[in-house]
Amino acid sequence: MKGNIIGKRIPRIDSVPKATGTAEYTVDLKLPGMIYGKILRSPLPHARIKSLDVSAAEALPGVCAVITAADVPMGKFSFFQWLADKTIFSSDKVRYVGDEVAAVAAIDADTAEKAIELIQVDYDPLPAVFETEEAMTADAPLIHDQESNIGFKVERHFGDPDNAFESCDFVVEGCYKTDRVAHCCLEVSNCVASWTPEGRLSIWTNAQAPHTQRQEVARILEIPLQDVRIINSHMGGGFGSKLVMDMKLPIAAVLSKKTGRPVKIQNTRAEEFSTAKTRYGYTMYVKTGAKKDGTLQARTVRVIADNGAYHDKGPATLNFSSMMFATLYNIPNIHYEGMVVYTNKQMSTAFRGFGNPQLTFACEVQLDELAEKIGMDPVEIRRINANTPGQKLQCGAVVPTCGLRECIEVAAQNIAWKEKYNRKDKLRGVGVANMVHTAAGGRYYGYNATDSFIKVADDGTVSIVTPGLEMGQGVHTVVAMIVAEELGLDMKSVKVLSNDTDLTPYDLGSWGSRATFVVGNAALATAREARVVIIETAAKMLDTKPEFIDLENGMAVARGPGMPEKSVSMGKLAAYAINNMKAPISVKGQWADDIPEDWDIKTEFVKNVRSFAFATQTCEVEIDKDTGEVKVLKFVAAHETGTTMNEMLAEGQIEGAVMQGIGFTLMESMTLDNGRVVNDGFLDYKLPTFGEQPEIDVQLIETGDPHGPYGAKGIGEAGLVPTAAALANAIYNASGIRVTELPITREFMLNALREK
Amino acid sequence: MKAFDYERPSTFEDACRILHAAGGSKKVLAGGTDLIVKTRHKVMAPEGVVSLKDVPGLSDISFDPEKGLFIGPMLRLSDVETADAVKTQYPALAAAVATIGSTQVRNRATIGGNICNAAPSADSPPILMAYGASVVIGDGKNEREVLLEDFFTGPGETVLRVGEIVKQIVVPAPPQNIFAIYIKAARSALDIALVGVALLAVFDPADRVVKDLKVALAAVAPTPVRSRQMERIVIGNKLDDTIIEKAVVESCTDACSITDIRTTEGYRDTLVETHTRQALEAARSWIEKGGVL
Amino acid sequence: MKHEITLKVNNDTYSLAIDPWRTLNDVLREDLNLTGTKLGCGSGDCGACTVIVDGRSISSCLTLAVEMDQKKIMTIEGLAPSGEELHPIQESFVEKGAIQCGFCTPGMELSAYNLLSQNPHPSEKEIRESLSGNLCRCTGYNKIVEAIAESADKMKPKKKKGRKK
Repeated sequence: MKGNIIGKRIPRIDSVPKATGTAEYTVDLKLPGMIYGKILRSPLPHARIKSLDVSAAEALPGVCAVITAADVPMGKFSFFQWLADKTIFSSDKVRYVGDEVAAVAAIDADTAEKAIELIQVDYDPLPAVFETEEAMTADAPLIHDQESNIGFKVERHFGDPDNAFESCDFVVEGCYKTDRVAHCCLEVSNCVASWTPEGRLSIWTNAQAPHTQRQEVARILEIPLQDVRIINSHMGGGFGSKLVMDMKLPIAAVLSKKTGRPVKIQNTRAEEFSTAKTRYGYTMYVKTGAKKDGTLQARTVRVIADNGAYHDKGPATLNFSSMMFATLYNIPNIHYEGMVVYTNKQMSTAFRGFGNPQLTFACEVQLDELAEKIGMDPVEIRRINANTPGQKLQCGAVVPTCGLRECIEVAAQNIAWKEKYNRKDKLRGVGVANMVHTAAGGRYYGYNATDSFIKVADDGTVSIVTPGLEMGQGVHTVVAMIVAEELGLDMKSVKVLSNDTDLTPYDLGSWGSRATFVVGNAALATAREARVVIIETAAKMLDTKPEFIDLENGMAVARGPGMPEKSVSMGKLAAYAINNMKAPISVKGQWADDIPEDWDIKTEFVKNVRSFAFATQTCEVEIDKDTGEVKVLKFVAAHETGTTMNEMLAEGQIEGAVMQGIGFTLMESMTLDNGRVVNDGFLDYKLPTFGEQPEIDVQLIETGDPHGPYGAKGIGEAGLVPTAAALANAIYNASGIRVTELPITREFMLNALREK
Repeated sequence: MKAFDYERPSTFEDACRILHAAGGSKKVLAGGTDLIVKTRHKVMAPEGVVSLKDVPGLSDISFDPEKGLFIGPMLRLSDVETADAVKTQYPALAAAVATIGSTQVRNRATIGGNICNAAPSADSPPILMAYGASVVIGDGKNEREVLLEDFFTGPGETVLRVGEIVKQIVVPAPPQNIFAIYIKAARSALDIALVGVALLAVFDPADRVVKDLKVALAAVAPTPVRSRQMERIVIGNKLDDTIIEKAVVESCTDACSITDIRTTEGYRDTLVETHTRQALEAARSWIEKGGVL
Repeated sequence: MKHEITLKVNNDTYSLAIDPWRTLNDVLREDLNLTGTKLGCGSGDCGACTVIVDGRSISSCLTLAVEMDQKKIMTIEGLAPSGEELHPIQESFVEKGAIQCGFCTPGMELSAYNLLSQNPHPSEKEIRESLSGNLCRCTGYNKIVEAIAESADKMKPKKKKGRKK
């Protein structure tokens, strides 16, 4: 769709403040009287705390407060409270290097750091376990007081895979592994906590889901929900890392309460690497069967996810990957078994793609193995198994719109697949992978809805109050575009008000590619509501009928048969509404996902997703025979957008995600030494830099969507979901080396090349 | 960050005196890019730092066709990289310096710092060693000149005694008919070397025989090292397939790579072989074309 | 012992007494409230803290403030002084979609400024090499490269317009 605004390459509304350095991030915040907190963390991966002495720290001049488990509520907490396993501070034992033990607040950061070093803790080390499959053995040390280290299990099943495999012409099996990787937001995790004299707590932080974090803070501190307010500033990256409350929030709150002063706690980069949560590392045992014509008949998987020391988003991640597992292709027989397993490592959490990049890597690499066995071209096997618009899948999901076939065509064509596939020269090759992802978040909260408000000021400015959480992806710009489109305004006339739980309607936050879909739909409903009121007002003012009024260029224009054209500006209309109609223009709008009331996530798990987006990525690589370096020469990323709201922002989401996918595939990995992260800086934790980013040909396929705003689908995560598989498949095409484990290091490649 | 004192003497003698009096508890502050990171990460805890910023003459650079290149230790890496004399007479030094850190770091860090930190992976020492460089060391009273290859004694350790400061880096004038190259293996643009290979060959254009060869390696030993065994194989011969192959086989003989968080011993050795071969091939091609590209 | 220093930042002169171990980044952000200069890592690996000193880009997190006595410093706040229109680099970053979360943006722009002041017409390769010390986790870099190339074009000295009669 191309409207006046929608579909155009419109710059972000926050880009001028960001370009001039005036945009304020939480880390820039300084409140009067503010002091600095610092957390003492466990140096050991698994140990009993024998004793704790804070007296020297308390005696240090400049120290305002020292707190331990004795000073905080000690109820157990988790994102899913039924899995609660973590307290604010460890009192009996620590379970990973970085576990919170105590905290101080001091007049400056240097003093706080010095005070931390003065706290004496006597530990009794316990045996620790770092690998999931080792943690699952009978004699593994138990990390929690449970029968085993398996923290959660989920199974999904339909059809009869066992029998189906028997009748398949070709079956392949394999084990695939992906590593835990760090989000590496350029702004570290941080917060400022402060109490009003009336006893109300405000926390400024970089939260992707402020409303649910507000509930989490109230829950862990055992205080009424109305006493908590979360305020966001501009946010230096999210990618899933800031969905669930970090313990520095309640710690800062308690320090602030104790000192009566605002307290800021901010990670160092090393602290961020070793204690901020990572992507769930997956070990996947996958089996796929097909007939000789290439049609997929059965697929099973056993996923073992690395939980780290405590629960976080594990169940949701496993559930989500089960849905994508079942819907990428229409496979009649499916079995999915997933579990999260405790290890003595930092926690894992959501990370762009929510388990789907991991499982798509395994499935799409295995699909190439299968194609090879059958003797089919990898593009062809994907084409014949691709879903089509309106298809009802055997798992129960319906895909009303689906652009996967178009995606495959354009991705193959733009990488010159026919000329380049199997060319076998100079260790160059091409690879392909498909993916499906949610385009609308998930329904597992049982709630997937939100509101927004619009008011029109007598200066002509239209303000929308939205809970859309801006973390860099551009949702505020999309919301403003929707309002401008509907009300015939330019972008400058629209203001977006957000980022304070006291102000914004309840919402679940920015995750699951849901913001444009959910928040955008609410903005659209609100803008259409406002349009009705504005037009009615204009009709009264211009003495005509509403059906003759149109909104354009910031004016209400009346055009009708046999009447002279009349118009009035938005500002004058607003003033007329206030002064003459005694009814200032302000409206509310809502979008609510019609979640079936009898929906049961266990039996109808695919209905968790309101809307699907498909994509195909192809790429070309060249491998250096002497060093094993994989050079990525080009990517084609063909993604279904439904309707492209803003081409420039959509390209930006996909280009950035592909880059994260390249990092995930070729370089990123947490290196541990007895549970301690040793590559805890950007020098040794390798991110893609300017030099590693190839040309990315982004193709946006517009297929529409029956539920998205203007037919749009969410695209925030999709860009990195198929990247690893496309790269691994290209590496196979270039070298004949089948990669089943990430990251694919140069050393691995070189050794593999030499062994051949 | 841990507290420390700061002094900024205005003469070389004063700087030496302060360092001497502190008995090793104070550190020289040049660009500070390494010192600040190490202090912040508690790898180092100096009681004080002595800034050489106000000591005159330490950032000078000059070239004499007979005597060679004289570089002040406080010269910024970006100034070394872009100095005319370096670009024209010692292009491999310019290329090596350009691989160090980021633009921002090269705009701040100094050549003296890159040498005196004595990191086994530092990029400038191997190519300087290949060019036959030495350092002039002063203690405020006396001076001594030490060949760079004798300067390093271990990771972070040098022959510098308490109170001594490197005053100048001296690189002999390049002989006629040479080829020099530095090849760095790294995981990304912004990285310290996994290994570095510096090579300088002096050849006879008439018979194409290599008259002299110096190869120095980074990140494969506690200090930058000469690959002498390999040099011996090549010197006096033409670079043909057989000699190159023989040389490559011996390229790691003088190295003792280790496994660390960046990579493994085995991969380091492989990279040394790979890049030594590349360097020798480049030299052969240069010599065969009569000293032009 | 605190040291008296004078910093000339964006044409303002500040006289300060500071502890010698404090970095330029810390003093700019905490003492001068110039928070447009970010801190991303504290070890010179990400470029978010880039400022211009005597015309050259440096990592403010790796620079002691005391060493900056009498130096001329430009931070992002000085690239386009307030009240004036955007600098061509900023304009191109905005127009080309080179900004997402924005946290790396001030450092990116100042690194671009450093490059363009030495090399007004950089190739794509030169842009990528010169900015390799600036990390971005959002954009995938390509739009930043485009923005810098475009701003180089914009900054080309324009021919003087002769008055036509």
